[in-house]
Parts: sequence; structure tokens; C-alpha cells
Amino acid sequence: MTRFVKVREKVYAGVPLDLDDGVALFRHPNLPELGMLANQVRERMHGDRAYYNLNLHINATNVCVADCMFCSFARLKPGDPGAYTMSLEQAWGKLRERAHQPITEIHIVNGLHPDLPFEYYEELLRGLKRIRPDIHLKCFTAVEIHFFAHTFGMSYEKVLTRLREAGLGSLPGGGAEIFAPRVRRKICADKATTEEWLDVHRVAHRMGLRSNCTMLYGHIETFEERVDHMLKLRALQDETGGFQTFIPLAFHPEGNALARLPAPLGYDDLRTYAVARLVLSNVPHLKAYWIMLGLKIAQVALWFGADDIDGTVQEEKIYHMAGAHTPEALTRAQLEAAIRAAGRVPVQRDTLYNIIETPPGPSPRRLEVVA
Amino acid sequence: MNSRRIRLAAVSFLNARPITYALDPERFEVTFTEPSVCADLLAAGQADCGLIPVASYAAQPGLRVVPGIAIAARGAVKTVLLVGAVPWPRMAEIALDDASRTSALLCKLLSRAQGFAPNYLRVDHAEAARAARGDRGALVIGDAAFDLSGYPYVYDLGAEWTRATGLPFVYAVWAGRPDALAPADIAALQRSLAAGLAARGTIARAFAEGRGGDAKIFERYLHNHIRYALGSDELAGLSEYFLRCHRAGLCERLPEIAFYETAPVRARVRRDALSAAAAGERLCDQDAINLYESAPLGELGCAADARRHALHKDGVVTYIIDRNVNYTNVCVTRCKFCNFYRPPGHPEGYVLSREVLAQKFRETVALGGVQVLLQGGLHPDLRIEWYEDLFRWIKSNFPLILHALSPAEITHIAQLEGLSVEKVLERLHAAGLDSVPGGGAEILDDAVRTEVSPLKCTTDEWLAVMRAAHQLGLPSSSTMVFGFGETSQQLTGHLGRLRTLQDQTGGFVSFFCWPFQSEGTRLKKRDDTSAARYLRVQALARLYLDNIPHFGVSWPTMGPDVGQVALRYGGNDFGSVMIEENVVSTAGAHFMMDAAAIERQIRGAGFIPRRRNNRYQYIS
Repeated sequence: MTRFVKVREKVYAGVPLDLDDGVALFRHPNLPELGMLANQVRERMHGDRAYYNLNLHINATNVCVADCMFCSFARLKPGDPGAYTMSLEQAWGKLRERAHQPITEIHIVNGLHPDLPFEYYEELLRGLKRIRPDIHLKCFTAVEIHFFAHTFGMSYEKVLTRLREAGLGSLPGGGAEIFAPRVRRKICADKATTEEWLDVHRVAHRMGLRSNCTMLYGHIETFEERVDHMLKLRALQDETGGFQTFIPLAFHPEGNALARLPAPLGYDDLRTYAVARLVLSNVPHLKAYWIMLGLKIAQVALWFGADDIDGTVQEEKIYHMAGAHTPEALTRAQLEAAIRAAGRVPVQRDTLYNIIETPPGPSPRRLEVVA
Repeated sequence: MNSRRIRLAAVSFLNARPITYALDPERFEVTFTEPSVCADLLAAGQADCGLIPVASYAAQPGLRVVPGIAIAARGAVKTVLLVGAVPWPRMAEIALDDASRTSALLCKLLSRAQGFAPNYLRVDHAEAARAARGDRGALVIGDAAFDLSGYPYVYDLGAEWTRATGLPFVYAVWAGRPDALAPADIAALQRSLAAGLAARGTIARAFAEGRGGDAKIFERYLHNHIRYALGSDELAGLSEYFLRCHRAGLCERLPEIAFYETAPVRARVRRDALSAAAAGERLCDQDAINLYESAPLGELGCAADARRHALHKDGVVTYIIDRNVNYTNVCVTRCKFCNFYRPPGHPEGYVLSREVLAQKFRETVALGGVQVLLQGGLHPDLRIEWYEDLFRWIKSNFPLILHALSPAEITHIAQLEGLSVEKVLERLHAAGLDSVPGGGAEILDDAVRTEVSPLKCTTDEWLAVMRAAHQLGLPSSSTMVFGFGETSQQLTGHLGRLRTLQDQTGGFVSFFCWPFQSEGTRLKKRDDTSAARYLRVQALARLYLDNIPHFGVSWPTMGPDVGQVALRYGGNDFGSVMIEENVVSTAGAHFMMDAAAIERQIRGAGFIPRRRNNRYQYIS
């Protein structure tokens, strides 16, 4: 029996894969075969559905005391070239401009700003809820929560309780990068450690908050370190069950300190999605974040384990380009068309994966083998 | 046979006649009326099944649709017209023909999408054609639209819909209560349509005799404008219509499209078709169609990868360094999908001079290039001697393989000179031609070609050039461009023609396929040109074309990442380090790579990169 067949037998039997299994999958040369296996698991969990949501991203500040090598967004100090911090009015204005649109979620991720008071964040959330009381606020990575706790002298639980009272609905999954200490020391030495990242999510899950999780791949990490990362997430999920979605994030080398590295290739993207679906078997959803992957690879990823394609993130750009048409309708139509073109059924979800709408349309034809 | 006949309510318009023309009178009893009345008869239980407007379908919950049959159009429909004395934006009021709710909603939807908010009033079907005056426009549907004249502003709402969405519009479908039709009845309706489609000429002539008018116009209408299939594109168009109506608040319920069960409902494929094809057994057309339409992407990819491995066991993926030189952009064919050509006499038309060509060839050699791919438009004034002189000059001055002139160009030269293609190829071969590129094949099906490139060579002409080239010992590549809205039969038919010729000549060394690039071209189609479909098409072609050795991936159109993945969906060649490319890059494909980047992609997919020549021999 080849190594791949052994791993496949474990998948069929529902036995969790170990580090060696995961690495063997990464090294398996037959990409379609790997994709098929991940697709079987994906279809068992989600059938033909591919989820998307209508969301809005707000990045209230890019000032950040952490100096991560892979980041092109952050500026170290207020006043550095390109640094910005929105006033509360400016941040609320982002939603106010779109309050009439059917968006269901706001995703907020910021730099670790050295000077903003905790009340800024609380008031940011309260103001957004005043504009659209029904909107779900998915805000602040574990790295930010840890930073708040450290800066303002509160426990994680206290930080999360106060933010929840202000309107926080769930946590995004960013800041995980790669858990292996070797990698973390090199690329992001001065932010929340692996244990701290996991602990924030543990506390959030125990409080009943859901969250997502991520992995930044394609820089200096090894296959072993990728699988190890997934296994650490799986262990926490076994403990709490609070993760909804795993989002592998492809490293982009432009405009940061790792620019000498090449970006991961499409082959590696698809392989990573397939292995993630197979190793991280207890996290229900796998998101092909099309902003990072490109829509073409994201479509193919829907056959390599992914069941979610994120949302109408690019709204603002589309809004300016679209002229007379309503931007969300265009974007949404494009997302739906992209999902259908990939042979899947688009399903609009909210942040917690409640189904909002399954637009009508033909079901994909499937092969029926007969004698 | 049913004890009692099934009561059908059908539309009396010309466009419905192919559907009703050959209905079996022993099985069906038909009442002919206006579209909206069909729906009323169905609602009142006075008909079992009706050819009803899709808006009426949306309004009556619980109905089932007969699969495969529709009255639809992609683009201009000719018989749903908004007319007026003033342009659409200035119409303060629009009179809606009450014969069809579907077109009325379509008119409201399209008005609203453009920011117009006229008042609407309903008028009787017979009055509609005369209702427009002043700033009041009128929506005129059905056969009445044939007779309209004298309105300065006429908008074809079918064309407007397709322009806004890229999709066909479905006007009417057969629908009835779930228990009204048995599978045998469905089959009878589908058979009737097939017979009716074959009789469109007769139907058009009878219609012209009955009411006056030109039978040719009516026949063209039935052939070129109305589509009778309810395929995936039509369903996508119908879903889009329902969704837009629902989101605009024009229909309360978001209807599901539910079909009558037919036996079998799913595609059927021989149990072993996929594994047999993976093992190198020849695929028959029906299995190929079923696999193409229904096999999961992963399974197709695995089978194609197994074929690729069997044919190229050394794990090598090749690429070539060459330059794509377009010696002229002047072209008489005006293909709708091309952004590159300029018509004769156009100020931007060019023919490259020897100085410019020499510069390009010197650069190519300096960059390690081994081949020049020389192609151009169909220039009306360049004679065969011009090509012969050019080829001799190239071959005596530059160490480059001359891969030149697609079948369309060779056919054009033959026609211009009054020579056979054999003779043209013989002379060009003698002047230095080394091999023939397989471009311009698009889809080798004249129904598709007539629509997208009516003035370019026909299917038979394309194949005749390749046959003649192969017989002279000139190898060639072969290509397929998909995504023109072609059917599965047309797509596999293309592959079938290549395979048959290859059985006879063995002259095709390679195959490339890619989706049609539409950006900025005049051909507005929203067909599926996704990466998922590209991989599916290439994998199927790898299985089907068991006699063509090399498969190139199309990274210039799909991007390097998808190109890399495609190496595991049947590809064994990464194409070319294109020092220059002018055609698809003018239609929205903007990818460039150097040799190092190509080798990195090849290694990343687990293969060994080697450079090749035009015959796919290794040269590194």
C-alpha cells in the first residue's frame, strides 16, 4: 500500500491524520488525486454548496507597534509616511455610506496603535451598532485582543466582555501566521506568541463567542510547520469547538521585508487547501479568500476542499467603478456567477453560517455511473 | 396511452409554432391563445399544461417545468420591442401590452436598472402597437412587432437584457401541475419540438401565406433569433431574471425552478468509460459528452494525468523560446472576437518592414529564441511572392524555425491567387516554411463559426489546409477556443474532427485550448470561461485526443498559476516564453513570463523543465 493510499484509508475511516500523514499529503505528486480526496470530504460536509457573505472591511488604523516582516500595511508610528488613523466619525462613515445595502457583517482588523484609548474601540463598535443594530461585528484578531489586555492591564476575559457589551459578535482569525517558534521568531517576534494567540481564542470560545483561524503560508515555513500549525488548531477545536472557518492565507511578497521571496504558486495554493481540509477535519468550513488567491484559483479551490469564498470585500472599489448600478448587486452577481461557473451552488450566509438566501438556479449535473 | 387526452394551452405566436407543430393529436388536445391566457387556463384547471410566460410560472406556486424546451433568445428577439417617438430616457409613460406579464416586468426591470422611472399603463394586446405617441412609449410583443414601422426609437428588450447580463432570456416554458405529465408525455413533447425544428422553413412559409410578409424573414427569425433549448445558459438567464425581479420587489416570491421527472434524470456514462480512457482506450462521442458535462473535476484530472504520464514517462515538461510576430494587422474578416485587426484602408493598419522584422529577429536570436511564429491578418494585397521572398530572406539570414501562417491565411492566399492550398503550401514550403500553427480553429463547427467569424475559413477549409500540410511533411499544432456558447456536441465534434484527421495523417504534434477572451471585443457573450472549465476541457481533450502526443497549457490566457495546475490536467508543455504577443493581450490577457519563471512553475508542479523546438524535440 502506498503512503497516499494508507492516508486515504484513514480519511475514509474517519481517523484523524497525524503530522507524518499531513506531510505525506503535501509531498504527494498527484494533485488531482489529492484534490479528489479533499473534495470527497468537502462534499460529505457541504454537498454542492459554496458560501459567500455580504461584508464590509474597515481598517481603522495602520499604525502598529509590531514589526512583522511579511506586512505591507503597517506603519510603526503615527506621522510615518502613509500612516493613518480614522476618527470615529470617519470609521462610522464607512458604514453610513453603505447602511442601506444588504451587508450583514463588518470585519475590522487594525494595527496595534500605541496611543488610542480602549474607549476608542468600544465606542467604534457602539457607533456602528447605532447605525445598523442588526449588523454582525467580527472584529479584532487575537493579536489585538492580547495587545489590549497587555496595554490596558485587563484579562482577556475582561477585554472580550467589555467589547461584547459594546457590540462584538465574533473574532476574525488573523495573526496566527505560523505557530512554529522558529518561524515566529524570524517573521513576527514582537507580537502575541502561539500560546497567547490560542489562549485568546480559548477564552473567547468559552464565553460563547465564535471565531475563525488562519495560517500564513508560502514564506519561510516548511511542510512540517504547516501541518504542525493545523494540528495545534485542531487540538484547540477538539477542546472548545468554537472555530467556524479555517482560512489559509497566501503570503504576498510585495512591499514588505520578505520581498526577496517568490509568492506561492497556484499548485501550492491548491495543495494547501486540500491538505487543510483533510488534516483540520473538525473545523467545519474552509475559506478560499479570493482577494488573496485570485478568483480563478479560488474557483478551482472549491474542488480542493474549500466551501466558502468570503464576501463582497472589494465593495468600495466596485462602488466607485460601477457608476449608476448598485455596487452590492454587481459584486454579488459576480460572486454568484463565479461560484456557478465553478460548478457549485452559491449560498448567501451570515457570519455564523446561517443561510440567508439560496438564489435559484440549475443544480450542477453530476455523473451517475451505470452498467 | 392515456385514457384521456392531455389538455395543453399554447401560444399562437409564430415563435411557438415549432413547439406545437408536430404534437401528437392522439396524446394531446391543444388550445391556442395569448400567453397570459395560457396561464389563466392552467390556473383555472382548464388545461393540464401550458406554454406559459415565465412570470406566470413565478406567480403560480407548485408548477413543474418540462425540461429542455423553452422559447428563449440570446440577444435580439425581434418580437419584444419598446417603441416610441422619444428615446427611452425621455419616455414619461410606457403602455404595456397585457398579453405577457414577463415582458412587462422585463421592461420595468430594464428601465429601473438604467435609472428611468416612467409611469406604466396597461393596454389591450391589439392596441399596443398604436399606443405610443408623444412622450408615451409602448411595449409591443408577439407577431404584432413584425409589422411595426415609423417609430424613430425602437429598443429590442431581448438585446437589452443580454447586454446587461450576458445571458439569454427565457420568455416561455411548458409548465403544469406535478401529476399532469408522465415521463412518456415529456418525451412526446421533446420529440414534437425536434420535428418542429426540422420544419421551420415550412412553418415560416405557411405563416407568410396566412398573413402576408416575407417567409425568408420569418424563417431567419425562427432559426437565428429564437432558441428552443432550455440549457444551462437559459436556466442561468431565467434564474437571473427571477432574482432581479425579486430583489427589485417586482415579484413577491423567489420561485424555484422545479422540473418534471424524466427517466433518466442524470447523465449516464458507461461504468468503465473514465478508467478505460485513462488506460488509453478510445472514448466514443457520447461518453465524451457525458464526461465533459458531468464528471467531477478531480476524476477527470486524475484520468488525464494518468494519460499524460503514460505518454510522457520521463517527467519532462517542455517549453520553447520564440517570438510571435504579427506581420500585418490588416484583415478582411472582421471576426467579432478579435481586437487586433484593422480593416483595409484604416489609418492604424500596418505591414512590418524588413528593417523592423530584422530587428525583432535579431533580438529573438539574442534572447535564445529558436523559432518565430509568424502570423497576420488576411491582407487583401499581399501576394504569394511577397511571402516567398520574406520566407527565403528569413531562412537565409536568421537561424530560426519558421512556424508560420495559420490555415485561415493559407486559405486566403490560395483564394487570392486562384491556386489550390496544396500548391500554396508546396511553394511556401520550398521557400522555407517549417511548420504550420493551428490557430483560427476556434470551434470547428460551421454553426458556431458563422456566428462568431463568418468571413473566416470554414471547418472544411481549415481541415483541408492541415491535411495538405501534413501530406507535405509539415507538422502542425492544433487548437480549440471554447466559450462562444457552443454546445457539448459542438465541442466534442471539434475534437472528433481533429482526431479523425490525425488518424489519417499523424501530422498534429500538439494541442492547445483556451477560453475565449472577450474584453473589449464586439462579441458579447457571457459563457463560462472560468479556470474550472478550462481544466475540465483540457482534461477531456487529453483523454479524447489519444493520437495527439503533446498538450500545451494556456498560461497567457489563464495566468501562470492556473497554467501550472493544468500540467496535472493533461498538459506536458508550458508553451512559449513569448517575447511578443499582440492578439489575446489586446483582449484582456496580460500575463508575461521569462524562462526562469517558467522553469520555476514547471519544477513547482513536480516536473523537469526542458527546452524544445517546433517538433517537440529537446534542445537543452
